[in-house]
Amino acid sequence: MLELKDLHAEVEGEGIEILKGVNLTITKGEIHAIMGPNGSGKSTLAKVVAGHPQYEVTKGDILFNGESILEMDPDERAHAGIFLAFQYPVEVPGVTNTTLLRESYNTIAASRGREELDPLEFDDYIREKLDLVEMNPEFLERSVNAGFSGGEKKRNEIFQMAVLQPSLSLLDETDSGLDIDALRVVSDGINKLHGEDDGVVLITHYQRLLNYIIPDHVHVMIAGRIVKSGGKELALELEEKGYDWLESLATVNGEAK
Amino acid sequence: MAHPTRIEPSVLHELAMNRPVSKDRLWTGIAEEGMLTLNSNEFPDRKIEEWKFTNLKELKRTDFVHLDKAGVSPATDIEKYFLPESDRSRLVFVNGYFEEKYSSIGGLGKGVTVGNLAKYAGDEAVKEYLNRLVNYDNDVFTAYNNLMFDDGAYIHLEKGAKAEAPIQILNIYTDSEQPYIASPRMLVIAEEDSDLTIIEDHIGLSDNRYLTIPVCEVKVKQRAHIHHVRIQRDSLDAFHLSRPITYVEKNSEYHSYTITLGAKLSRNEPRVIQEDEEVDFTLDGLVLIDGDQVADTHSVMDHRFSHATSHQLHKVVVNGSAHSIFNGKIFVRKDAQKIDSFQENRNLLLSIDGLVNTKPQLEIFADDVLCSHGATIGQLDPEEVFYLQSRGMTEEKAKEVLTYAFALETIENVKVDSVHKLLIEEVYRYTKANSKPKVPA
Ligand SMILES: Nc1ncnc2c1ncn2[C@@H]1O[C@H](COP(=O)(O)OP(=O)(O)OP(=O)(O)O)[C@@H](O)[C@H]1O
Ligand SMILES: [Mg+2]
Repeated sequence: MLELKDLHAEVEGEGIEILKGVNLTITKGEIHAIMGPNGSGKSTLAKVVAGHPQYEVTKGDILFNGESILEMDPDERAHAGIFLAFQYPVEVPGVTNTTLLRESYNTIAASRGREELDPLEFDDYIREKLDLVEMNPEFLERSVNAGFSGGEKKRNEIFQMAVLQPSLSLLDETDSGLDIDALRVVSDGINKLHGEDDGVVLITHYQRLLNYIIPDHVHVMIAGRIVKSGGKELALELEEKGYDWLESLATVNGEAK
Repeated sequence: MAHPTRIEPSVLHELAMNRPVSKDRLWTGIAEEGMLTLNSNEFPDRKIEEWKFTNLKELKRTDFVHLDKAGVSPATDIEKYFLPESDRSRLVFVNGYFEEKYSSIGGLGKGVTVGNLAKYAGDEAVKEYLNRLVNYDNDVFTAYNNLMFDDGAYIHLEKGAKAEAPIQILNIYTDSEQPYIASPRMLVIAEEDSDLTIIEDHIGLSDNRYLTIPVCEVKVKQRAHIHHVRIQRDSLDAFHLSRPITYVEKNSEYHSYTITLGAKLSRNEPRVIQEDEEVDFTLDGLVLIDGDQVADTHSVMDHRFSHATSHQLHKVVVNGSAHSIFNGKIFVRKDAQKIDSFQENRNLLLSIDGLVNTKPQLEIFADDVLCSHGATIGQLDPEEVFYLQSRGMTEEKAKEVLTYAFALETIENVKVDSVHKLLIEEVYRYTKANSKPKVPA
């Protein structure tokens, strides 16, 4: 469903290249994990797929269900079924969670040919999703992420994912900041939401998450490229050895990075 | 009376000359005082510090006339501006003149007097306070109002009286071939332990040019409470220069919310003066401007005694080449201890051509005070826009939602349902119209 082909991206207007030729294919029903050192470009990759205007794709392509989405705005990508759970969820003071979700749900539903829900139906629907991530209904009337603790923000991201039912979820370090119990709850939620028709990309630093959500593939990103891919045992190997042994793979034809 | 030669006469001076104070005017003393002030003071210009950012050139160049009541074209189709809550507590003024047929009073219960000032000229409170509360130094505009006003809104609450409904003071400005000047006047006296809500609305029915100079005097006596909402929806070619001044006595509360939407140029100069200890007052504002509008707020919060809580949140959204000016003076006099004062001016700039000047001005002469103040100027945060877009909102919708959220905070405290709703609609209309990127024609 998602194909990244030799994807190069730089910071718009500044000529700083961050993604230096990423190739990745995700098929329906799969869970992929992307790991890699700080600053290697994992979040950038997720944001580029979601359409962040700060980054410019200078080369390569992103195909979603076979079609290039490079020209699509972030909202159009969301309508197509792409969802990004942010590493640093944004606080939006003055806009309540409910307002955001109702607006989002209905626009996405409309564009994906699902039926819009009237306020009562929506209420029931929302409750069910709250239960899924064991979130307190009080959060519904609070401004989006404003004053939320780090863990609460992450849980809220997965709650939104549950409500919006994307077909491709990019979860950027959703595990960081969650306590041990929350990690279990949120992971269970993600597992329940995942089905054979959708794909999940987990960006994480910790092998522990992958005990809860078992990936079909693990990739290592270094300096803007995926330098190694493998099965779930690759994560264990990384846990043990770190990234040093892979650094040499980040050079191509003897040329640094 | 002749012009002292050193004054360069402005249109205000000329109009004043043409209207000598006649013996049968109700308030000859006040009028003469106005004439005197006018004759000895220049029309302000940008050389004066207080007017540095606000250019009155165009106002000065306009050939205004003074309209007598008979010269006012009738206001029609204004029922839509009547508040349902105030169907028996409403005063209507057209171009500053009382319009009995649209007004409706009598729904306010015991001890509440609401009516045209001219009718109550003989009242003790009118004699005692009218023009005694005004304190704008040598301001020629206040002087002009003093010289010209014939009618006005008069609200008086006896000790312990509670107004059962919000009182609507509806100021309508009609179309006219020639630009005119209106001098609306208000006097509000809330005696001990009384309680009332005022909705003061200024509405231009057309897009014509006029100048309105509303002067409002408010006295909040011991333990009395006033909730005062002021909505300015003047014509986009109008000038609006308002001078609302309020005195707060011991244990009283005054909360005002000023919403600025209209006028080509507005200058709002609210002042609150503390007269005793233990008071609580609010001077919040919301300004939504676009095109070539100029909205200037010069406020004063004067803490003269100990134990006061004051609050001023002034929020501004600027689009097009509009220009907002804020100067908020906070005085804390010597020996006025335990003051808790909050002031914040937050500006949201939606366009590159918009302009904001902001100047919080604290003059504190006491030592045991807590004064927080701040001013920010910013654009919509692109990360917030992206976040909402990633949740499926179009860029337009995301900007609309964020602007709306920014503006909404200041009107949250407006207590009257229909007014709250009306303001939400106004905010919505503004944000809707302004979420689209402006392409020059
Ligand atoms: N807008 C930007 N301007 C300048 N540099 C940027 C910008 N966005 C990303 N970068 C740089 O690109 C590199 C990759 O950043 P990115 O956030 O994608 O890393 P990451 O792999 O997610 O790291 P972490 O594991 O710490 O979250 C970093 O060096 C970062 O500083
Ligand atoms: Mg990251």
